[in-house]
Amino acid sequence: MSQAQNVTLAAKPKGFSLDTWAVLLAFTLAALVRAGVFKHIPW
Amino acid sequence: MASSVAVPRVRPANPALQFLKLVPGVVLLAGVGYAGKLLEANVGRYAKAHHWTFPNIEYVLWAILLGLLISNTVGVPEMFRAGVATYEFWLKAGIVLLGARFLLGDVLKLGGTSLALVAIEIVGAIAFMTFLGRVFKLKPKLTSLLAVGSAVCGVSAIIATQGAIDADEEDSSFAIAAILALGALSLFTFPVIGHSLHLTDHAYGVWSGLAVDNTAEAAAAGALYSDAAGKLAVLTKTTRNALIGFVVLAYAFYWASRGQAQAVGNKAKFLWQKFPKFVLGFLLISTLATFAFFSKEQVGALANLSRWAFLLTFAGVGLRTNFHALSKQGLKPFLVGAIGEVAIAGFTLGLVLAAQRIFGW
Repeated sequence: MSQAQNVTLAAKPKGFSLDTWAVLLAFTLAALVRAGVFKHIPW
Repeated sequence: MASSVAVPRVRPANPALQFLKLVPGVVLLAGVGYAGKLLEANVGRYAKAHHWTFPNIEYVLWAILLGLLISNTVGVPEMFRAGVATYEFWLKAGIVLLGARFLLGDVLKLGGTSLALVAIEIVGAIAFMTFLGRVFKLKPKLTSLLAVGSAVCGVSAIIATQGAIDADEEDSSFAIAAILALGALSLFTFPVIGHSLHLTDHAYGVWSGLAVDNTAEAAAAGALYSDAAGKLAVLTKTTRNALIGFVVLAYAFYWASRGQAQAVGNKAKFLWQKFPKFVLGFLLISTLATFAFFSKEQVGALANLSRWAFLLTFAGVGLRTNFHALSKQGLKPFLVGAIGEVAIAGFTLGLVLAAQRIFGW
């Protein structure tokens, strides 16, 4: 396999933005707290 | 011959591999942040046991200082950098979760007051930075980037504007370096000024949200003062962030009218693309909390999740700030940024003191 064939490119960002992923993570955590999966989060 | 031409075959980066690359840096963020928490708990206790006089330093400052120490001595090794760069992701997730601690009525009331102050701040900051750019004979597009960065929201606004007005990469990195360097300085100066003027948590939080440009530094500057000030700094800064699309659109029109940027086609689409989506997430969680979707214990759990997310952010603020790298970006943009930031900090402090008197904060 030539060197050219080994090139790995970072895929051009497609789909969700960083903002949207952050919102999705926060909503997932909020849903898990609401569902009682996480009952107590220590600080 | 066409058949002999070697066409590079590219395979897309494996998402699982990309994800794994983030792990070391995220672990470093968590480690530095948690070390900050341990230092807060133990240093004061140790000093007291040994009868030393030592100021009570909060975990926020410890996490930032530890990050700065690593970044400016041994440096952040390559394998950690991708994960450390996720600090903005944790910041945005933390802001959305923070929505649980605000009732919608408070958001509308505080956000309404903040919106009026933010509008005055944006107009004043853009006018003053444009004036300074002309006095110091900076390139016009660099002046535009500095004006947007100091008026709206730091790095995100500069990157959004760079694309919209076809500015040079170099101008963008000058403006970002100036904004980040001044943001780092604000972490150490703002709490001192706030305490010396005996500002209330409310007044100080709004001031930090109005005057500190990058969201991570604004949240940190607020949290360094108090938990309540941190909440208000985030709310005020989020209000500023919400206006990013309108300011970038205005600059895009301005430069397009001079034939130096592409014309904006669909304005609504442009505004939606530039609008920070985490603001909507924050409002939705706040609405759910207002209508008692979460119990009191659950709101407490969400608030603690938000604190953990911010802890990673504060560690990232220190870890990604390298003073040597920032100092290499050129003196003139930094000087213009510094003069502008000092003036904007003074101007917004005046606004906040006037609002404090009017609204009785």
